[in-house]
Amino acid sequence: MVLYSIWMRLSSKNKNRGKAGGRVSFVWRTVPLLLFIFILSACQSKQGVYIQKLKNQHYRLIVNGSPYIVKGVCYNPIPRGLNHEYDWWSDPNKPWIVDGKLMKEMGVNTIRLYQTHDNPEEVRQVIRDLYNLYGIRTFLGDWLGFWEYPCPFYGDKKFQDKVKRQVLEMVALYKDEPGVLGWILGNENNYSCLGHVKPWSSEEVDQELDPQKQKAMRAKIYYSFVNDISKEIHKIDPKHPVGLGNGELVGLEYANEFCQDVDFVACIIYRGKTFGNLFKSLKMTFDKPILLAEFGADCYDAYLKKEDQNMQAFFLESQWKQIYKNLANNKEGAGNCIGGTMFEWTDEWWKHTPDNPETWKIQDTESGWSNGSYYFDIRAQNNMNMNEEWFGIVALGEPLENATPAGGQGLDKRIPRKAYYVVKEFWKNPVIKKSGGKK
Amino acid sequence: MKKLLVVALALNFLVPAIAVAEEKAACPTEFVVYLDKNAKDNHYIPSGWMGDYGDIKMNDQAADNPHSGKTSIQFMYSAKKSQNQGWTGVYWLNPANNWGNKKGGYDLTGMTKLTFWARGAKGGEVIQKVMVGGVNGTYPDTASVEMGPIELTDTWKQYTVNLAGKDLSYINGGFNWSTTVDLNPEGATFYIDDIKFEADPDLKPEGKKQEAMPFYIYADRTTVANHFIPSGYMGDYGDLRYDGASKDDAYLGDTCIKMTYSGKGSQGARWAGIFWQYPANNWGGVDSGFDLSKATKLTFWARGAKGGERIEEFKIGGVMGEFSDSDSATIGPVLLNKEWMQYTIDLKGKDMSYIIGGFAWSANVDNNPDGAIFYLDEIKLEE
Repeated sequence: MVLYSIWMRLSSKNKNRGKAGGRVSFVWRTVPLLLFIFILSACQSKQGVYIQKLKNQHYRLIVNGSPYIVKGVCYNPIPRGLNHEYDWWSDPNKPWIVDGKLMKEMGVNTIRLYQTHDNPEEVRQVIRDLYNLYGIRTFLGDWLGFWEYPCPFYGDKKFQDKVKRQVLEMVALYKDEPGVLGWILGNENNYSCLGHVKPWSSEEVDQELDPQKQKAMRAKIYYSFVNDISKEIHKIDPKHPVGLGNGELVGLEYANEFCQDVDFVACIIYRGKTFGNLFKSLKMTFDKPILLAEFGADCYDAYLKKEDQNMQAFFLESQWKQIYKNLANNKEGAGNCIGGTMFEWTDEWWKHTPDNPETWKIQDTESGWSNGSYYFDIRAQNNMNMNEEWFGIVALGEPLENATPAGGQGLDKRIPRKAYYVVKEFWKNPVIKKSGGKK
Repeated sequence: MKKLLVVALALNFLVPAIAVAEEKAACPTEFVVYLDKNAKDNHYIPSGWMGDYGDIKMNDQAADNPHSGKTSIQFMYSAKKSQNQGWTGVYWLNPANNWGNKKGGYDLTGMTKLTFWARGAKGGEVIQKVMVGGVNGTYPDTASVEMGPIELTDTWKQYTVNLAGKDLSYINGGFNWSTTVDLNPEGATFYIDDIKFEADPDLKPEGKKQEAMPFYIYADRTTVANHFIPSGYMGDYGDLRYDGASKDDAYLGDTCIKMTYSGKGSQGARWAGIFWQYPANNWGGVDSGFDLSKATKLTFWARGAKGGERIEEFKIGGVMGEFSDSDSATIGPVLLNKEWMQYTIDLKGKDMSYIIGGFAWSANVDNNPDGAIFYLDEIKLEE
């Protein structure tokens, strides 16, 4: 509005000049208009969130005109004794208030939410509280129907329409929230194209006998679908980038062909102390900026059968060093990383045996999967070394006093682990050099 | 006064000279592992027999044609697979049989190479690799360096393991050789002599060299140029049988690989597969990747016994551990034909600079309910 009034004043001054001659009059009328448009567009370009491609082909995220490194966490504050169905959004204890304070002290500037909630007011409240109180922004995500029973029918037009409608509703509801940083579509949904998890097919795919061609057909269907949603999002919300959630780099050669309208890739990577050739490999396969949307380490030593916070801190520090090394304008890296949201803020005690409520009250020490990259405890029985309930940067303890009971209990105490302090120090003074052993 | 000055000056020159001499005495230029039977300078005992240890006979005072002195060490390897391992080897340990459970390592700081002389009884015998250090346990060696394969000649030849730049401050496994049945199907008799560490100040550390192409993973059973070992059995490993010397219509040469996957689900995983690793069983715990940067593709030939066998994935790289592969590349799923067909994994744009897992395949019960028998041949990386 201020700009508009300046332009009107300039224009009216010109009008008062009277018979100043056609050319001069034209100039005097046009210059303010062009100036106005220039200033307006310059100001507009400073608003919102977008990806900037630099002359050296590096990428960076710009938020309201300034470069922004995503220093984030995945956030799903399920209390001890409850599972993923718990509605934490309406928890009267407002866990995000306590968490946001701790996050801000650590240096976290972003959370990633995998899915929004049914009640838009509650979602808005969380986004606003975190942003207004602590300056923490939010990546909002959608599972894209991945968990639907029996499988996500990405080859079915009705299924696609339903999912697309849900996503666009989310975008319409929250796009004007100042705390929103962007959208992340899916998580590891690409694995369903390979049939690894939630396998799906279609009549067209079934008619093809060659399994390699089947895989390619499913990938084409899935990535085209995500691309379609991304285009629709851009139409109604040009101010936020859209990310493609993807397990590892699997399938991105197809995304390169069919999903060019996403703004960045949000990869889920568990490779231990290093991301290896990830950044360069992505540049060769699908030249988009990358957000490490899920990475990290658990803090339970499955071999020695005891908590090992040093192990978790060692891996996280090393991973953040790699992220920083590959940010824009770092000569040593690929320049295509925009930051990361590490997995995860708090432990989740329900995850190892999600079907048995009795076990949600205790933190299970049995490992759920094996990953040799986390090598300190790989000598555990059957090499099962990954403990799903121990990924928190913050451990959960006995409820805080004076907390409002929720689900029969108060708000669990937050106990920062060593990784909390190590990453905090790294963000304050990000020195990128080789990591030593765990201390 | 003058006398005092002369004495003082003399002392001034003499003291450093004495100190240097003492230093030299403290820094020997060689450290002997074996010279002759009962030589007083010998260190370490060839006591760590591995794999098919029943296949080995050792004579550490072989008097026929030693390289120097009166004796050399003779090894006779029968390749009978007494312990059903398909490979064997001997470690020189200190004290005897110490696999790192007690202190016994020597500080060999200052040594820059290990040299030894070797010859085959006939020529053509193959030692898969020789090694210095690499013993783990409670008191692990500070270095692990290997060299090979070596195809022996029937005359004495000296071989060198470059140790420049390595931390040799604690070495319990002074020397080791190992080999396989595949490389010596008829067994092998060979001689080793004059094993010693040496200090050569001019020797430079060996940089990681880019391997020349083609780089074979499997050509034929007895090919010295084969790399990586099919040691990483995964999933239902009890369902797998590997035959690296199948003569069932090999695509090229005398033999091919025959893989038998029963699909019984022995370990309850419902899938199985094998990784070709270097060294054997290395899941990223040993820093030993090959630099295969020159490769632009991996090619191999495959066929099914019946046709229609489905392999979910063929792969190179992707081993993740303390030392992870620099990248990975895959093709699949693949439905095999009854006839030989060549398959290619495209490596353009991939970082092959550090590869421990040279080749892998995996299959599952769901797509092979009756199991699968299939053959592989001519697995190689190409420029």
